[in-house]
Amino acid sequence: MPMRRSAAFYTVGLCYALSLAALAADSGPVESLKSFSDFQQVDLNRLLNGDVLSERGSLMDFPNGISAQTCFVVPVSAEETAKRLQLWDPSTHGELKVFAFHTLHAPAELTDFQQLDFKTTQRPVRWLLDKIVASTPAKSDLNLTHAEARELASCVQKRADPQKVSACVTTLLLGRALAFQRQGLDGAQPYETAGESISPAVQLRTMLREQLVIAHEFLPILKKIGLLGNETVPSLTPFYYWTLFDADYHGTISLGAVYQLVVDDHFQLVDMEYYVSGNYYTSATLFEVWPIQVGGKPGALVWRGDFFAAPMLAFTKGTERIAYGALMLQDIKKEIRCFQDEAKTGR
Amino acid sequence: MRPGLVATLALLLPCAATCAANPMSVSQELDTEYGYTGGVSTRGGGVNVGSVDEQSADVKYVVSPQLTKDLLLRVGIEWQRFTFGVPDHGPVPGVLQQASLVLGFDYQIADEWLLRVEAEPGIYSDFRDITWRDVDMPMVIGAAYLASPDLQWIFGLRIDARTQYPVLPAVGIRWKFSEAWTLDLMAPKPRLEYDVNERLQLYTGAEFQLGTFAVGQNFGTPRGQPKLNDVIVDYLEIRVGSGCSWKITPNIAIEAEAGLMPYRGFDFFDPNIVFRSHNSPYGQIACHARF
Repeated sequence: MPMRRSAAFYTVGLCYALSLAALAADSGPVESLKSFSDFQQVDLNRLLNGDVLSERGSLMDFPNGISAQTCFVVPVSAEETAKRLQLWDPSTHGELKVFAFHTLHAPAELTDFQQLDFKTTQRPVRWLLDKIVASTPAKSDLNLTHAEARELASCVQKRADPQKVSACVTTLLLGRALAFQRQGLDGAQPYETAGESISPAVQLRTMLREQLVIAHEFLPILKKIGLLGNETVPSLTPFYYWTLFDADYHGTISLGAVYQLVVDDHFQLVDMEYYVSGNYYTSATLFEVWPIQVGGKPGALVWRGDFFAAPMLAFTKGTERIAYGALMLQDIKKEIRCFQDEAKTGR
Repeated sequence: MRPGLVATLALLLPCAATCAANPMSVSQELDTEYGYTGGVSTRGGGVNVGSVDEQSADVKYVVSPQLTKDLLLRVGIEWQRFTFGVPDHGPVPGVLQQASLVLGFDYQIADEWLLRVEAEPGIYSDFRDITWRDVDMPMVIGAAYLASPDLQWIFGLRIDARTQYPVLPAVGIRWKFSEAWTLDLMAPKPRLEYDVNERLQLYTGAEFQLGTFAVGQNFGTPRGQPKLNDVIVDYLEIRVGSGCSWKITPNIAIEAEAGLMPYRGFDFFDPNIVFRSHNSPYGQIACHARF
């Protein structure tokens, strides 16, 4: 008995000492994280065990917006984590329901979209195909300018030929991508087909301006990419991508850019969707990555903030909105766990 | 982002500082419903009451100020009335009516768990002679488990000290099993729903109308049933039907449905006399608004 007790004592003591060491070594990042986030209690040991801390975002005056915050640890260095976050391809994880994810050149080329394929039995993609074919110059369920709606309708000519539709949509996406690459968010034209002009850039800026503490924390990168401040054309070179995925049974195409900036000893990233084909308007995901030690090896503490703008949110209030936020967090956590697993296995 | 993506003062007081710090979001719910059920033979306690038809109406308005990120207060009013076309001196009430307050809260107790506690203190009566016996406060405690965007479980308790069964448990599920189909097995309106498009929904299902009411001190005597004086009646009506719901705007939906009422019962459980009706057609319209 005494032997066991002392062994247990030493084991507990060792763990305690290691935890304290880890906490002491990493109090900087944790304190930084607490200073701007909704996480006022951060148990680093839980994070080291793979837990993902999560909080629905504060209320917004902006009726279309919702936000969430998460915090997690990745068992690879901060530099490697930032690089992985910037280039991450979620399409290899079936549970995330991403049908395609591809890099875009700068400037974007037609061939970047050659994998865009509507010839599929996937029901969400068929849904998108139907919506494209049904689009007219006057009316469309898709996020388009009037000019885009006209061109798309003229190109598709009500024919549900998947190959033809792919070519027409490629032209549209290429135009959007090139405009963004040239002019940044100023090149992201507003959506007009729902009867009012909705600018993804305005939606993103409005959401960020409501989260002053977060916006202040990310000011270095937000200014450089033209989301806040006076710069319009980004002075950082991002990773450009397009993706096709299932959003609540609806096929959705988005164009995005992921920016990375080294700030002192840590990294800031912004993943911004400057065009979304439908279902919602836009989103931005902000990451801050700090170096920490995980089991004596380099690791990374990551704070993630998700900002999401959708038309139906204006009509989703009270408990429904709480439930919506909770379900959104489930999806985000699912995505984070896939990312953590990849980092763990070194894929 | 890439893809993938109720009430005691003690509970409220600790959040006063937070409430002051956050913008106040207030949501409102307005639910109205009117239904007519055709005349149908009603019998019980060895008496044939005759053909009884019914009109039902319900109006519920709730305001929900969001006090904190996780807590919403629910304050409102509800008026519900069942009017029965009863032949002269028939021993079932001509009117059963509820006029109540709605007091409660919604609270997110964990990442995947939402709690609703709602009490409806008010008058539940035939409105012949209103006394303290007509005052009641049924209560609903429900918890929702958000398993996924497509699957949610509901666990509930209905508590009413005056009824024959003071505590009624219920389990429900909402399962969206395809883009257009949703199995929404939640009390009091379990349904199978089909979304024709973003505005129009077709559904088939059931509805349980229930309530507990006090009848007047001299309700039974003129009806030849003195045992029914000053007693409590549990009312239950089951409707099975199909209908459609049309979103005229994103936050206002109107519904129309028709079907069969397979069962209606006036259960005077203390003298143990139950008047039952079976199988009558009904039609119903409703409007639901969320602001």
